[in-house]
Amino acid sequence: MSVRVSVDIGGTFTDFCLYDEATATLSTLKTLSTPDTPGAEVMTGISELGTRYGHSPAAISYFTHGTTVGVNTVIQRRGAQLALFTTRNFEDVLEVARLKVPDPYDLFSRRPDPLAPRERVYGINERVLKDGTIEKGVDVTEVADAVAQAKVDGADTIVVALLHAYANPANEREVRDAILAAAPEMTVTLSSDVWPVIREYERTVTSTVAGYVQRRVADYIGSLQQALSDAGVPTEAMITKSNGGVMAAELGKTDPIAMLLSGTASGVIGAADVAARVGASDVLSFDVGGTSADVAVIRGGKPAFGVGEMVGEFPIYVPTVSVTSIGEGGGSIAWVDDFGVLKVGPESAGSTPGPACYGRGGTRPTITDAFAVLGLLGAGELGYGAVTLDRAAAETAIASVADRISLGVEAAAEAIIRVSISGMYLEISKLMSRHGADPRTFSLLAFGGAGPMTACLLARELGMAQVIVPPTPGVLSAYGGLIADIRNDFIRTAFVDLDTAGLAQLDEEAAALEQRALTWLRDEQGFEGEARLIWSADMRYRGQSYEIETIIDRADIAAGQIAPIAEAFHREHARVYDHSDPDAEVMIVNLRLVISGSAPKPDLAEGALSAAAATSVGEVPVFLDGASHAAVVYARADLEPGHHFTGPAIVTQDDCTTVVPTGLSVRVDGWGNLLIATEA
Amino acid sequence: MPVDKVTLEILKNHTRAAAESMAFTLYRTAHSTFVKETEDFTTGLTNPAGETFATPTELGATWFVNLNYGGAIRLIDDYRPGDICMTNDPYSGFVCTHSPDMHIWKPIFHGEEIVAYSVGHIHNTDVGGAVPASLSRTLSEVHQEGVRIPPNKILMEGEVNQQILDVFLANVRAPEQNWGDLKAQIAACNTGERKVLEMIDRFGIDTFREGIADLLDYSEAQARAIVRAMPNGRYPFADFMDEDAPDGWPCRLMLTLIIEDDSLIFDFTGSDPQLESSLNIPTGGDERHTLLMVGLTYVLYSLDPGLFLNSGIARVCRCILPSGTIVNPVFPAAVGMRTLSANRLQGLTLGAFAAALPDRLAGSPGSGGPIMNVNTIDNKTGRRIMAAINPMTGGAGGRAETDGLDGSGGNSGFLKNTPVEVNEVEAGIKVLRYGLSQDSAGPGLHRGGLGTEMVFQAFSPNSKVTARNRDRTRFTGWGIAGGLAGGASKFILNPGTNREHDLRNTDILTMGPGDVLHVTCGGAGGWGNPLERDPEAVFLDWRRGWVTLEHARAAYGVVITDGQVDESATTAERAGRMEETVDGFYDLGLERWAFEQIWTDENYETLTDCLASLPVHWRFYAKHRIFAAIDAMDADDRDEEGHTVRRIFEALKAEFPQLQVAAE
Repeated sequence: MSVRVSVDIGGTFTDFCLYDEATATLSTLKTLSTPDTPGAEVMTGISELGTRYGHSPAAISYFTHGTTVGVNTVIQRRGAQLALFTTRNFEDVLEVARLKVPDPYDLFSRRPDPLAPRERVYGINERVLKDGTIEKGVDVTEVADAVAQAKVDGADTIVVALLHAYANPANEREVRDAILAAAPEMTVTLSSDVWPVIREYERTVTSTVAGYVQRRVADYIGSLQQALSDAGVPTEAMITKSNGGVMAAELGKTDPIAMLLSGTASGVIGAADVAARVGASDVLSFDVGGTSADVAVIRGGKPAFGVGEMVGEFPIYVPTVSVTSIGEGGGSIAWVDDFGVLKVGPESAGSTPGPACYGRGGTRPTITDAFAVLGLLGAGELGYGAVTLDRAAAETAIASVADRISLGVEAAAEAIIRVSISGMYLEISKLMSRHGADPRTFSLLAFGGAGPMTACLLARELGMAQVIVPPTPGVLSAYGGLIADIRNDFIRTAFVDLDTAGLAQLDEEAAALEQRALTWLRDEQGFEGEARLIWSADMRYRGQSYEIETIIDRADIAAGQIAPIAEAFHREHARVYDHSDPDAEVMIVNLRLVISGSAPKPDLAEGALSAAAATSVGEVPVFLDGASHAAVVYARADLEPGHHFTGPAIVTQDDCTTVVPTGLSVRVDGWGNLLIATEA
Repeated sequence: MPVDKVTLEILKNHTRAAAESMAFTLYRTAHSTFVKETEDFTTGLTNPAGETFATPTELGATWFVNLNYGGAIRLIDDYRPGDICMTNDPYSGFVCTHSPDMHIWKPIFHGEEIVAYSVGHIHNTDVGGAVPASLSRTLSEVHQEGVRIPPNKILMEGEVNQQILDVFLANVRAPEQNWGDLKAQIAACNTGERKVLEMIDRFGIDTFREGIADLLDYSEAQARAIVRAMPNGRYPFADFMDEDAPDGWPCRLMLTLIIEDDSLIFDFTGSDPQLESSLNIPTGGDERHTLLMVGLTYVLYSLDPGLFLNSGIARVCRCILPSGTIVNPVFPAAVGMRTLSANRLQGLTLGAFAAALPDRLAGSPGSGGPIMNVNTIDNKTGRRIMAAINPMTGGAGGRAETDGLDGSGGNSGFLKNTPVEVNEVEAGIKVLRYGLSQDSAGPGLHRGGLGTEMVFQAFSPNSKVTARNRDRTRFTGWGIAGGLAGGASKFILNPGTNREHDLRNTDILTMGPGDVLHVTCGGAGGWGNPLERDPEAVFLDWRRGWVTLEHARAAYGVVITDGQVDESATTAERAGRMEETVDGFYDLGLERWAFEQIWTDENYETLTDCLASLPVHWRFYAKHRIFAAIDAMDADDRDEEGHTVRRIFEALKAEFPQLQVAAE
């Protein structure tokens, strides 16, 4: 029998999640990431799978993975030498951006330096009009001259982003052909290929990120494919995508933008799957690692999507599972300002030097040190035994802050955690207000190495009734990759009125989109199962400058049915903005199509609930809510469906620690999740 | 007893969560596109006295951190739970600063006691009056600027006050939008109330009450620490708006910044008398009015971004605001376009502080670019189109550390543009160019940021373009510490044709089919001697299309030939010009220099004194008469010491005997 493997490569650890079809069981594995030789950690893991679980590479029937290689390329500025070809007289598009600066209260606030520096931006004398008419075609000689200059200026990749290319890509394609005729070695990225949607800055900046990472991503994927093949893995590698789906890794070589934020997205997909099993439909996923704390909103079982998600300093405007950073994670440093006020972050000790208690050279007090001082961390192994806890070092670090706020070390440690929780409370309040949602009706689903440690405290602050901790919180992203569907997004800017003529035009656009989508799924992915198509339109009332994506029925477009489409929009407008205007004229700006095909899903069985009591492995002294307690320690591996207990308690497992404050009650459900009720 | 410094930080995060949640609620549920596009609104929480203790930073305008609702709060004498009050009257309590801004406040009760107010405003697209959108420089009385609602209850114990609402909506041009936006404001205030009540639950009423007082004290202490690090002294600075009315005379804004240990005085004596146009800034003489504190907040926050933003900041400062001047106009002076003058007042404040902190602060931010709207007809559908096309912004000033940011920044960093593609699809225009304006940056060792530039074409007859806030056609943004002034803003119809027309500071025009309009924002000022700028940096700007060869040579002494820096020619060019240094700390540009050959400081101070002696309603008239008289004179007939100005003034008084009576 075969195994399915999903790998998520993070900054510190690489997580493996595998599903054994013979036994219908999941297992996990962690290896240290090797950022300098991407792919090496995957090979280490595959060989470990053999030694630990007896699976030979030949038994791997499905292999998918998420990688940060693209994001790191942007953050470390190690990508292509980009040139950008724009329509002449619009060369400053990246500098001007949308004008607004990151912090408008700061006179010195700056936008980041563009990935294509202005001296390598070349204006092309061409023009497409708003309706797609070509007012001025491309002069091949002029393009050749620009290419020659770009080569002199050191470019190895050219991004072409011309005005109104979403309406008609012909000029961009002519420019590409002219570039390749003049310089076949160039990598060329067209904005009309990356994401053909109206708004030139958004399309251009997204295209520059795509062009910037393309060569490195392609090299990486190529070497991974080779290594897998050398190791005897018989299946073609898949790669997880920012939209929460997967695609053939081969496609990532030409469509790298689709996989840039794959790791965070598949974490949310994993969280949604866990939530569905638990029966929680409105969930906030809460992923905390050493250097970041991220949340995502899942409503009605569906993750929220966003555009303009950040890759390093740059927004990308492609459909992406929306993940919001709310802090700097366990490494956040506590300090006291000149007025005696306790602060946490934004500075982080990161993974190097890391928290003082990790004994890797860190001396400044972090959130992780605060948990160590309180006795909440270190009852079990940390990071698969990769880390030993130096509690004395944590105490020394916390003492430096405790003195300044006139508190004992333990009280200071708890104060640090409370301040950091209040910072997360602030960010989550903003996020929930943006969605018009009330956190008190949500469950908090905690994962990542440090999520389950802080989740109960955060849920209490937000008034959330339930915390969910999945069985393997440290590898939820890898798990999400394992269950993700093959999925792709298509868009066409239409800009029509919602009337008979508009729908007739839309019907033509829809037919073309559908054809392209099916070609992608059948020919490029080689997927033979059932294709699922979800149609939606970005719509607005006339005069508005922003659109709302509304799910619509393809049959209504074909039949020219205006009313059901309009009603769907009014409903969605009311849901998002609390009001609608049924008498106003409606416009359709973009038509969207999501195509997906089901990946094979693990066939997990819900366990029978045990009537037996949970067996603890002992007690440890902890300091929580201003007092000392004896917390009962449970090993996660010993907990079975049906077990229940109350806090103060600590649950330890290989990759994380769950902290349960006094008065909270825990039960283990049939899937092995810890369900923690914050109110008695 | 003060709350402990751990609880304070936690409470701080909770109050900010409340203010930010209010802002997101308002932004999400607002009806008008204007609010969504410009984010011209604010939300916040005040203490029972009306002092803002929490304000959002992620959304909304940056001008209202120090807003004090006390003046309006006190005009209602009986508050009950469920009441919400509103006003858009710039002369009732001096909370509202022009009629489109509808301010509302809701008392938050704990038992019988009001413990806080949740507050906020939205700039309404229109509140009636003489012109659509209610704003025009030409207006001279506040009565022309739309319906005014003095402080009144819009909700009485939770029930809508239909009578006042009907009166309001009957007087505006798009009532559904005003009512829709008002509902969004009410939703935001309710969010704020809920969050405050949650805080009281969480922290207890005593901690909450004491904590919000401590948060104001905390911001004040932070602000004082920043001020204490500044050198004591008097720092006078004057800047001019090009015009005090359409086709008017220059308008002086004068600030003497006085730094005394950890306190500041802003003395606005010397600023022009109140205007017969709508550029007046209504402060009611409130010596800490938020519109006067915006520049201060920018400076302090930029020096220390850890500064918690609330009205405790204003406590470090006190303004001197002579009555009947542009910074303290008396009723019924029009105030609708105070956006332009308040923006320039911020620049004035930054300039005064720059003299105290030349190595920390920057040259003038770019300004003078308009907020533009087009009103035309789509030739294909026959449909009338009204669309906002772009705010034209300038960059940030150069400073010791670096060049200024190009295109936006400084005190205009909160504005967003409209994409070219959207403008073409929606506004019925074709954009021929949009980007950075060549040679517009103020030269310097570190240059100012370039202004933005747009060229577009209209296709229908009678296409109306409004361009609010046009300025700096004449007087440009100042450079500091050896850096030079930025470029002037431009507004030119049909450039390069025989129908070319320089529109200067015009703010409304009609375009015909085929007409082309070229508009730019003034550039930001430079820092340090441009002749010392790294030639490679000038060369890079040339490669980027941001300076011409001529400007590189003229402004920076950098000679570029055959696509590279000619080092020996550059050295020679620069050596020959080392005596070209700026006289004084500021470089104010050639136009200002020429103006001050006539209007010396002494002449202007004499003018200010003379005008201040007149009744308010005579001052603007008298100023114009004196300016016209001086302008008509030959240079030899004028002096620099104010004698001529006084002579003309005395002649004026002789001409109008009633003036002497009135003055007594």
